Amino acid sequence: MTASGNEASVLVLGLGNVLCGDDGLGVAAVERFRLRYRISEAVRALDGGTLGLALLSHIRSTDDVILVDAVGAAGPPGTFVRLEGDEVAPELQARLSCHQIGVADLLNALAVLDAYPRRLILLGLVPETLELGLALSPPIENRLAELVERIADEVRRLGHDLIPNRPEQSANARSGDRAARALGLSR
Amino acid sequence: MTRVVIDPITRIEGHLRIETEVDGGVVRDAWSSSTMFRGIETILKGRDPRDAWAFTQRICGVCTTVHAITSIRAVENAIGARPPANARLLRNLIMASQMVQDHVVHFYHLHALDWVDIVSALSADPAATARLAQSISDWPLSSATYFAGVRERVQQFVDRGQLGPFANAYWGHSAYRLPPEANLLAVAHYLEALDWQRDFIRIHAVLGGKNPHLQSFLVGGMATPLDADKQGSLNMTSISMMRKLIREGRAFVEKVYIPDLLAVASFYKDWAGYGAGVGNYLAYGEYPEGDDSNAPLFLPRGVIRSRDLSNVEPMDPAKITEFVTHSWYEYEAGDSEGLHPAAGETRPNYTGPEPPYELLNTDEKYSWLKSPRYDGLSMEVGPLSRMLVAYGSGHSRVQELVNYALGQLGVGPEALFSTLGRVAARGIETLVLAEKMEDWLDELADNMGRGQLDIHDNSMWDPANWPAECSGAGFHEAPRGALGHWVHIVDGEIANYQCVVPSTWNAGPRDAAGQRGPYEEALVGTPVADAEQPIEILRTVHSFDPCMACGVHVVDRAGRELVKVRVQ
Repeated sequence: MTASGNEASVLVLGLGNVLCGDDGLGVAAVERFRLRYRISEAVRALDGGTLGLALLSHIRSTDDVILVDAVGAAGPPGTFVRLEGDEVAPELQARLSCHQIGVADLLNALAVLDAYPRRLILLGLVPETLELGLALSPPIENRLAELVERIADEVRRLGHDLIPNRPEQSANARSGDRAARALGLSR
Repeated sequence: MTRVVIDPITRIEGHLRIETEVDGGVVRDAWSSSTMFRGIETILKGRDPRDAWAFTQRICGVCTTVHAITSIRAVENAIGARPPANARLLRNLIMASQMVQDHVVHFYHLHALDWVDIVSALSADPAATARLAQSISDWPLSSATYFAGVRERVQQFVDRGQLGPFANAYWGHSAYRLPPEANLLAVAHYLEALDWQRDFIRIHAVLGGKNPHLQSFLVGGMATPLDADKQGSLNMTSISMMRKLIREGRAFVEKVYIPDLLAVASFYKDWAGYGAGVGNYLAYGEYPEGDDSNAPLFLPRGVIRSRDLSNVEPMDPAKITEFVTHSWYEYEAGDSEGLHPAAGETRPNYTGPEPPYELLNTDEKYSWLKSPRYDGLSMEVGPLSRMLVAYGSGHSRVQELVNYALGQLGVGPEALFSTLGRVAARGIETLVLAEKMEDWLDELADNMGRGQLDIHDNSMWDPANWPAECSGAGFHEAPRGALGHWVHIVDGEIANYQCVVPSTWNAGPRDAAGQRGPYEEALVGTPVADAEQPIEILRTVHSFDPCMACGVHVVDRAGRELVKVRVQ
């Protein structure tokens, strides 16, 4: 049984505060994922920012959820982290970031409503700095393309086809003011 | 004497840390500190003022729309753009739905667990709970079977050891006073409210698309095309969807939130005697009913001094100043001066201890928040201020509902100036707005029906039409209170930007004259039955709806940590 009653759906949700340096790496990765791939109706990729309960409707209407986020784990900045299922919530509860309470509240709400996603996966990188600023640090910037491919691998593993956009399309979309575009400013 | 420290863990809007001196079971003094520097101002310098809202929207994950609206108003004020009536109506609907949703979430998901004991709910008799529910409301979900189901669901949740949202509280504390049935009723509505808030805020999706962050703001108006019959525009189908959402939302407020609020309050009437605070109230006012800059506001603007409801003064923005005497900033003219936000400076000067530390030096600088003052006075902002200003200004519906609530609880008007008054004011405001929203929707639908579809004043969009130098202020009533943005624009770019947020008014430290901020003042006199479980302190702090979560550390005078409990 799927949330929509039809094809199983997956939500790729970038989390973090884009004003707090590497805390915004999840949002940046999801934005690049959207530029890199054409995705089917059953796959949604959203910028969840630091929203908490406001994301409930987006998660409840989805079968599988991939959270993409800065994760405070062992290892140098840029270290890749993958957690699944019951490992995810404690990680989001315990760490210090710009947005932990929101996401922790959200997962709590899903648990108490008996509406936890069928599969819950957290992909991320160990951040270097969470200080105020719009730029990602060099170690994160260097690993972002790999993170995007790992998101794509997970989505494929969940049974969805992804068609790469032509390189020039992604390249065009990548130019300009990255920060402003990440915030949805289209000009 | 024990020092009870409530320290922050999250950074949603900067860490909040409260230090209190507790002696003889009563708080004797209190210091409120934000331990994180927030410098959105530094990010905005040099940017296009028309983009500022998208950045300020990310200041806080809880209050996204409010910083967007305020920023847009500040820029419009500076460049002289005049949004048309439809933009005003769309904004009123966005702001009011944010307010209604936020207040319900605050009551059930952030504040209720200070008053409601989940453990006690597990021993409630479902039949007795049904009788209680049916005696206070005709809300349909009220059968014994329903409450038995809720009890079992929570029991299973607790049995699995996944306390989740209920993990961080003081279950069994002597300060909990609801009977088991009232606790179970509140828990059932805690769960219902989770789904309710998800449904209600779909109004934002109708107005702003599928993105979780509203993208329909635009300096000079809104970016939501209107056309009664057109797909892809806000059309008559959207209007009827919103009408349905507003009516369902209002029904929940009328039949669940308000009855619960009065039922819970009736067991905690002594809290009408605690948490009064500074007794000065500031409201910028909100929900313009016309398109001139001095159009009447549905919730009025004004200032009340020393709890004198008979004298609501006009609010003069020129009287706002910010002090940094006890804040980790420095002013060029010296730290005992107060600066108007339009001339504000954001120059960090951290002099506090290196973290991790036990205690702050509260005689010196001790917070990243500045101390905003109005005419030199510390002012409370938020639902209580708005409802008192409306009451004192003769707002008939507010007066009616305030008097009704006081009558139901059998308390006098002095009860308003308290922790309980703050909680009640939030509920009353929610109802007033839930009732009002459909009027704005009707007005919008009428305009669309008459083919009046303007949503944007394009005349000032091009920076070539702006003066070489201009400045402006934007005011808004966010759920947590008066929010102001001040912008200074030079050659089409932001030269200076200052935000004075509600939590700065309420949670700010002492000023040059040593006057406490509202949190600090409200905590003095609060009883604390058990210094290791200072739930009473949380009740008063949470009654202000702080935009941050806290951790609680309790340390004795020597600084030894006795207990450290994170709470929400």
